[in-house]
Amino acid sequence: MLEVKDLTFRYPGTNTAWHFTFQVRPCECIAIQGPSGSGKSTLLNLLAGFLTPESGSVRWNGECLTDLPPWDRPVTSLFQEHNLFEHLDVQTNIGLGIHPGLKLSTDQKRAISRGLASVGLAGFERRMPGDLSGGQRQRVALLRALLRDQPILLLDEPLTGLDAEARSQLRNLLQNHKAEGKVLILASHDAEDRKILADKQLNL
Amino acid sequence: MQRSLSGSFPAPLSRPAWQVLPGLIIAFVLLALTLAGLAALVWRAPLPAVSELWENRYLANVIRFTVWQAALSTVISLSLGLAIALALVRQPRFPGRSLLLRIMELSLVLPTILAVSGLIGIYGRQGWLTTLVGDWTSASWNLYGLNGILLAHVFFNAPLAGRILLQALESVPSPRRRVASQLGLRGWWLWRTLDWPALRSVLPALCALVFTLCFTSFAIVMTLGGGPASTTLEVAIYQSLRFEFDFGRAALLAMVQLGICGALWLFVVRRGVAHDFAPNRRLAEIIRRPDCRGATRFKDSALLLAFSLFLLLPLGAILLRGLPGLATVAFEAGNPLFDLANATLRSFAIALPAGAFSVMSGLLILTLASRGKALSKISSIASALPLMVPPIVLGTGLFLLLRPALGQPSEGLALVALINGLMALPFVTQLLKGPLTALDENTVRQADQLGLLGWYRWRWLHWPRLRRPMALAMAYGTALSLGDFGVIALFGTPGQPTLPVLLYQQLGSYRMELAAGTALWLITMLLLVFAAFNLASHERGQRKRSESTIETLAEARHA
Repeated sequence: MLEVKDLTFRYPGTNTAWHFTFQVRPCECIAIQGPSGSGKSTLLNLLAGFLTPESGSVRWNGECLTDLPPWDRPVTSLFQEHNLFEHLDVQTNIGLGIHPGLKLSTDQKRAISRGLASVGLAGFERRMPGDLSGGQRQRVALLRALLRDQPILLLDEPLTGLDAEARSQLRNLLQNHKAEGKVLILASHDAEDRKILADKQLNL
Repeated sequence: MQRSLSGSFPAPLSRPAWQVLPGLIIAFVLLALTLAGLAALVWRAPLPAVSELWENRYLANVIRFTVWQAALSTVISLSLGLAIALALVRQPRFPGRSLLLRIMELSLVLPTILAVSGLIGIYGRQGWLTTLVGDWTSASWNLYGLNGILLAHVFFNAPLAGRILLQALESVPSPRRRVASQLGLRGWWLWRTLDWPALRSVLPALCALVFTLCFTSFAIVMTLGGGPASTTLEVAIYQSLRFEFDFGRAALLAMVQLGICGALWLFVVRRGVAHDFAPNRRLAEIIRRPDCRGATRFKDSALLLAFSLFLLLPLGAILLRGLPGLATVAFEAGNPLFDLANATLRSFAIALPAGAFSVMSGLLILTLASRGKALSKISSIASALPLMVPPIVLGTGLFLLLRPALGQPSEGLALVALINGLMALPFVTQLLKGPLTALDENTVRQADQLGLLGWYRWRWLHWPRLRRPMALAMAYGTALSLGDFGVIALFGTPGQPTLPVLLYQQLGSYRMELAAGTALWLITMLLLVFAAFNLASHERGQRKRSESTIETLAEARHA
């Protein structure tokens, strides 16, 4: 279970402070709701370890994550865009999620190809991100997140700007991921995304 | 290996110490080397009384002349550079503009001794232009002395100044240029609203740079100075060390030089003014300026044409005189071909390690820049050190420090390679800084989360961005060392010359045909260095698209 308790953050030089407290169980998705500037992305960045909180704690199955750097946290983020390294091809982008030195076994390489086929991108291994549409790029990024197989998935407007077909396909993938016992934390302005994916809401 | 809570694999060289220690060690070695050199100046040489600086007429003249020629050269170079930059920004479609810009970049790497041989071919006693003017008028002209020094300094520094000022002018945001264009601003108002605000931030550092380069000029003064009346501090230090063995006087003069250059750069650094000197090849959006037509267009074109000729004629002279010169080298008695081959090997034996040293130390020092304020300060001081402490001063100090220990000529050459590498450091760091720090926040966060740290971050993120700039930096470092005449003159032995020393010896003994051949050979070697490193930076079979993306990103910011 993910427990966020009295997590407090203040940007340097400002007086506004954010306080967060909530819990999410495996197979659950929590939607974070609030107007722009209410702290949705800030919360996701705190959970990912990109920002350091003033006080409070983040625990996963009882283990404290608060002082861990981003690479040691059992977390994967999916942003609205810029999820891929533009100069590396699709297979390398996904492979780096499995092993940062790209030391992949044959099975892992096969898993990448199978994964690409399952998201409708069969044979795209050598394509560059610049050659893909927005929806295709998000599917590659999501596939990397899924193959990374971390228990917590942070989603920051992941479906914004995509066409209806791509949205529907990605929603299905996220639903399946959740069903596998993962925790999803979704920041989205889109009421339909929240309705379909989220089990509960956190209002900021 | 123990896996973390995320199951991520520890990356090689990812401990924080590995990110900081090598750069810190190199920075401190550079600082220690410089301080040791300076300390040696004070402790190892019996300093003469400071009053000798104004009581001894020769020394007082040397200081006065050094400052005077540097000030004059700076004023002329900057004025011409500014006129050229304004003409280029007003005439973005001038035919041959990009070729002219490339030729202007040559000033960064063209060995001074080589350019001098070209200038002699045009403006010397037997030079093309001197002969032509002499045939038609009774005007007399002597290249040797202040004339020649100023001409050579302007030849080198006007293009450099023009390139940097053009870069500043082109950095004016497009919306502001569009507004000026729509309002039809001209003359004073255009200068006040667009040009001056852009130039103001780079001018102080540029003045300091050009003044320092002219103040510490060695090969030009040695070859074109023409006598004791036109001696600069740098040449006086060399003469004290090599001919008079008066180490105390050399130390005193070196300290005067350090005092003036150091004070100038301290002023520049303390004022916090911009000093970005790497030429930028980014093409600015072309927006027609209201002052680009009519008589201005004609005047600009005439100026750019004249400036192109000013730069191209000496290069043409090297080429045209060099071809028969090379034939002389090949067939003349006395085995000049053997001398040339030996000098070439010796030059590369110094230049390649110097280039590699400058690139490696530049990279390591730059890694400190993103690690907090204190380390960033150390990084900028270490990389700007050779600008503050001229190589001849450093060389003099190390010469005094290591003199008893330097037994073998090869040890002297190793020291030359080290100091040459240091000389290239400011330019190399300018070339590498952008690509190394170009990772945006999103990329860094992604990399952090995926555990792309240490070696893995270098392999997947930095190396693709840095491969080409590193090759270019290596070429710059090697080329600067290949053309060095200052440090090698101090530490080298006349019987074992490098290419620039061989060229100097041939010029000094009026063996002009041989000198022309050597000059052409040297310029060919420089081109070969750039071509070879450019070729090496293209990975065979590499996916073209990915590389072109990165190269566009990197080259957009860097030469």
